[in-house]
Amino acid sequence: MTREAYHKQLKDVQDELIRLSEMVGTALKDSIEALKNRDIEASRRIIKNDVFVNNRRFEIEERCIYLIATQQPMAVDLRVLAAMINVVTDLERIGDHAEGIARISISIGDGPLVKPLIDMPVMAEKALSMLQRCMKAFVERDAETAKKICDEDDEVDARYDAIYDELIHLMIENPKIIKDATYMIWAAHNIERIADRVTNIAERVVYMATGKMQEMNVSKY
Amino acid sequence: MTAKITIKGLNFYYGPKQALRNINVRIGEREITALIGPSGCGKTTFLRCLNRMHDLYPGNRYEGEIILDDRNILEPGLDLIRLRSKVGIVFQKPTPFPMSISDNIAFGLKLGGMRNRRELASRVEAALRVSALWDETKDRLHDSALSLSGGQQQRLCIARAIAVEPEVILMDEPCSALDPVATAKIEDLMSDLKKNYTVVIVTHNMQQAARVSDHTGFFMMGEVMEFDRTQKIFTAPSNKLTEDYITGRFG
Amino acid sequence: MTGFHYTKRKVFNYAAQTASLLCAVCGIAFLFWILKDVAVLGAGGLDFSFFTELPAPPGEAGGGMANAITGTLLITVIATAIGVPSGILAGTYLSEYGRGGRVAATVRFIADILVAAPSIVIGIFVYAIIVRPAGGFSTIAGAMALAIIMLPVVIRTAEEMLKLVPDATREAALALGAPHWKVTVLVVYRGALRGITTGVMLAVARVSGETAPLLFTSFNNAYWNWKLNEPTATLTVTIFNYAMGPYEEWHAKAWAAALLITAGVLFVTLAARLVVRGRSGS
Repeated sequence: MTREAYHKQLKDVQDELIRLSEMVGTALKDSIEALKNRDIEASRRIIKNDVFVNNRRFEIEERCIYLIATQQPMAVDLRVLAAMINVVTDLERIGDHAEGIARISISIGDGPLVKPLIDMPVMAEKALSMLQRCMKAFVERDAETAKKICDEDDEVDARYDAIYDELIHLMIENPKIIKDATYMIWAAHNIERIADRVTNIAERVVYMATGKMQEMNVSKY
Repeated sequence: MTAKITIKGLNFYYGPKQALRNINVRIGEREITALIGPSGCGKTTFLRCLNRMHDLYPGNRYEGEIILDDRNILEPGLDLIRLRSKVGIVFQKPTPFPMSISDNIAFGLKLGGMRNRRELASRVEAALRVSALWDETKDRLHDSALSLSGGQQQRLCIARAIAVEPEVILMDEPCSALDPVATAKIEDLMSDLKKNYTVVIVTHNMQQAARVSDHTGFFMMGEVMEFDRTQKIFTAPSNKLTEDYITGRFG
Repeated sequence: MTGFHYTKRKVFNYAAQTASLLCAVCGIAFLFWILKDVAVLGAGGLDFSFFTELPAPPGEAGGGMANAITGTLLITVIATAIGVPSGILAGTYLSEYGRGGRVAATVRFIADILVAAPSIVIGIFVYAIIVRPAGGFSTIAGAMALAIIMLPVVIRTAEEMLKLVPDATREAALALGAPHWKVTVLVVYRGALRGITTGVMLAVARVSGETAPLLFTSFNNAYWNWKLNEPTATLTVTIFNYAMGPYEEWHAKAWAAALLITAGVLFVTLAARLVVRGRSGS
């Protein structure tokens, strides 16, 4: 009774999910890059590409539902499918946050940034690395790595705090930049939210691997 | 869960061949316990130990204890006829006797010495009502049981088993010869039976085990690999073999 | 290419169909020929006295076969009374008790040999064990011979019919607490009833047409006989004697007897058929 066709379909959907995570990862990286370089065209491209992310998300979700309806998955297969339905939502939201950063970049306009981007790319780098390792843990059903990734969210939070404080100080010193500085806080906040989404994904990896549902790391925000 | 049957260190042999190895399981009272596993894994053999059906054939041997309520049913000198009236069984294929519908159900009662016609008739009706067959058969109680459809025949066999008021009902793949509608009816009936009876069911249909049972035991090569709450077995089994079996990675 | 093969297959198909149809028609044609001759030639000899009178002395006209008719009935009834219960019980043993055992295998083997044994051999056997020691031909010897011929047929039919009752049905009855003998009598016999009845009727039909074994056992009698230890006339033996005889009247009477016995066998066979049909109806 080995069910090879079914397990191949299951793996195909997982491959699709990994591809989607790569797409949103690239969107995150590009959005920070565009913000830093004041590249409005690149930002517009990111916004346009988010449509593809959204479409992919529905496609994957539908394939998961189809497999549940037709194959009556059980045990690990069921957990994988349930996890994928959740993860795909998180990935789509990560894509939205990247798109948000691109919109902020456009809103700031042609002018220079209120301060040079130093912390934010590091923060984004960290979030991206968390995402990539988390998806690897997903493929490898590695609960331990996933748990560790959750702890790393504190680092991202700390950097967000630092950026927030710094920008508040700049605003106090120079009220004229309040508008642009607020945009910057929003951008940083988007990255912080992305890292939170990654911890959600990590929770799903833990569930998928162990069958236990547990809250890993309560974000401060 | 309160245990209705506690199995301790059960070994079973068909002649020289050992079919069950060191089974330790507790069957919950007024619960449905499902037994799953690949063909030839021993689940039916185990089921048939519970009312000692194996005693019908020579050369079979039990070791260990099967404690029903407070009594070890494997002890020598046990009254098998009384045991079987306490532990009924329903088989894979419907086994209507070649007689009328009401005679089928009265069969076990008459064996038990019941002669009073009115009493028999009321017990027949009660059993048919429990098995949800009364409305379909009340106008044809004296027709041959063989004239019923497969699903009706199986419900008749369940009615026949419960007519003698057992405490435990064993079911050996009761739906494998039935279509989905008849299967659904039997499954509904099983959850009704659970209110008054302890039910143990062997099934090849894992979705069925998942749907109807409270506890599930996974058998392989004559051993119980895993026994746990059904919800646990089908979402997150502890044993890799269980997981591989129920996800169709072997079997 | 494919078209060619297709045509070839069709030709082959038609050829095979035609050949089997021809063979079937041949077989049936002979059967109807026999029936027609028996009916036409036999009807002439059938009259009221045929059923009521004793045979006339050789060469005289008139007379009947009343004693042979009753003799055949008597012998067949006694043979059935001996052969059927013991056959069914033996079949029950093979199917319900001795299954797979060495005794059962031996009994089954012997029954199979007996089915194929020429009936005259059985006649000689009964002659040796009953007729000779008893010092003469007798009704009971004839009935014994027929019973022995019936026995293997009934045993094997009963066994096969009982085996058709699914084991799960037996187990279900045993699981309700029924002892083995009650399961057999109340459940298994009921399930096999029609099949066994059919088998028995066919066996009766078969032995009622036997001649050879009766020549050595019940022999013949020109008069009434109801005693078990006296020779008895039977239709088949009378047909044999009359057909060999030199008189035209005898030949006519032999044809009439042949018609009667054919009708009897046909009737029993048809009745057996009806029983089978009734089975599929329920």
